[in-house]
Amino acid sequence: MADNELKSKSEAARHFVRGLWAENPIFRQLLGMCPVLAVTVALKPALTMGMATMFVLICANIVVSLMRNIIQPHLRILMFTLTIATFVTIADLILKAYLPEMSDTLGPFVPLIIVNCLIIGRAEACASRKPVGTSIADAFGMGLGFTFGLCVLATVRELLADGKLFEISVLPSGYDPLLVMKLPAGAFIALGLLLGISNHFFNKK
Amino acid sequence: MELVLLFISVAIINNLVLTKFLGICPFIGVSRKLDMAFGMGCAVTFVITISGALTWIINNMVLRPIGMDYLKYIAFIMVIASMVQLVEMYLRKFFPPLYESFGIFLALITTNCAILGTCLLIDMNNYSFIKALVASFGGGVGFTLVICMMGGIRENLEWADVPDALKGAGITLITAGIMTLAFMGFTGIGSH
Repeated sequence: MADNELKSKSEAARHFVRGLWAENPIFRQLLGMCPVLAVTVALKPALTMGMATMFVLICANIVVSLMRNIIQPHLRILMFTLTIATFVTIADLILKAYLPEMSDTLGPFVPLIIVNCLIIGRAEACASRKPVGTSIADAFGMGLGFTFGLCVLATVRELLADGKLFEISVLPSGYDPLLVMKLPAGAFIALGLLLGISNHFFNKK
Repeated sequence: MELVLLFISVAIINNLVLTKFLGICPFIGVSRKLDMAFGMGCAVTFVITISGALTWIINNMVLRPIGMDYLKYIAFIMVIASMVQLVEMYLRKFFPPLYESFGIFLALITTNCAILGTCLLIDMNNYSFIKALVASFGGGVGFTLVICMMGGIRENLEWADVPDALKGAGITLITAGIMTLAFMGFTGIGSH
C-alpha cells in the first residue's frame, strides 16, 4: 500500500516536472501557438493569459479525469470540448468582472482558450487515462510551462519595443525602440528566433 | 460596395492568420506541401462559412432574445463540432474521393481557432446576416491564400541551407513574420 502510494506520488511529480521544460508546451511541443503570438505584446496580458489558461487546464483535467471511466470513447472529444468550454465561460466572466480592462485587451483570446490544443491535448493524453492526482500535477506543470513560455516571449518583446517591463522603464533613456516588435511581424520573428535559440542550446539529440 | 470592401478587408488586410493570429497551428503544421495546404484551406473555408452563418442565427435568434448570452461559447463550439461531424459524414457517403483527400484535416478543423475566432469576431462587431456571411467566407479565402503561399515557400525552403536550429517551425515562423510585413503594404485600402 505504502509502496503503491509512493509510486503514484513519484508519477505525479514526474508529470509535473516534465511540463516545465522537457515537454514545454511552447518550446517543445508547439501547442497553443495562437495566444502565444497574440497576447505577448507586454508582460501583463501574457501573465493574465497564462493564469487563465492554467485555471482552465487544471479544472478541465480534474473533471475529465473524474469521468474517464464513464465516457464512451467516440464521444470523448465532444465531452472534453464541452467541459473546457464551461470552465472558459467561468474564467471569462471572472475576468470581465474583476479585470475589465485586461479582458478588453485580451479580446477574443479568452474564449479562444476553448480551442487551445494544449488543453484538449492534455485531456486526451493524460487526464483521460490517469487518476486525479497525477492529472492535477500534470496540468499544473504544463500550465506553468505555458505561462513561463508566454512570459519569456513577452519579456523580449516588451523590452525591445518599449524598453519597459511591466510598464516600468528599465533601459536607459537613449534606447531606440524597435517598433517592429509591437507589430504582428515582430511576434512571428521573435518566436521563431527564440525557438531557434532553445533548439540550439538545449536539443542534444 | 461595402460588402466588397468588407471581403477584401477580412481576406487580405486583416488576414486571420497574419494579423489576428488565428489558425496558427494548421498554418505551421499542414503547410509543408502545397496540395495539402490547399486541401486544408478548402475544408476550412467550407466549414467557416457554414458555421459563421449558423452561429449568427443561433446567437441572434435564440440566445439574445431569451437573454442567455453567457451560453454562447458552449453553443458556438457545439455548432462547429457538429458541423464538422456532419460535413465528414456527408463527404464520406457522397464524395468518397474528396473525403479520402481531406483525410485527417476534417477532424482537425474542430480545434482550428480560425473558425471559433471568426464566429466570435462576427459577434463582437455586431454584423448583419449578409455581412456575417461575407466576413466568414472572406476569412476562409484569406486563410486559404496565406496557407497556400506558405506551402509554396516551404516547398522551396527544402532546397535552402537553413541553420539546423531553425529547421521546421523556427524558419516557418520567421517567414511568416516577413509575409506579415509584406501584407502590411495593403493597410489603408479599406477602413474595417
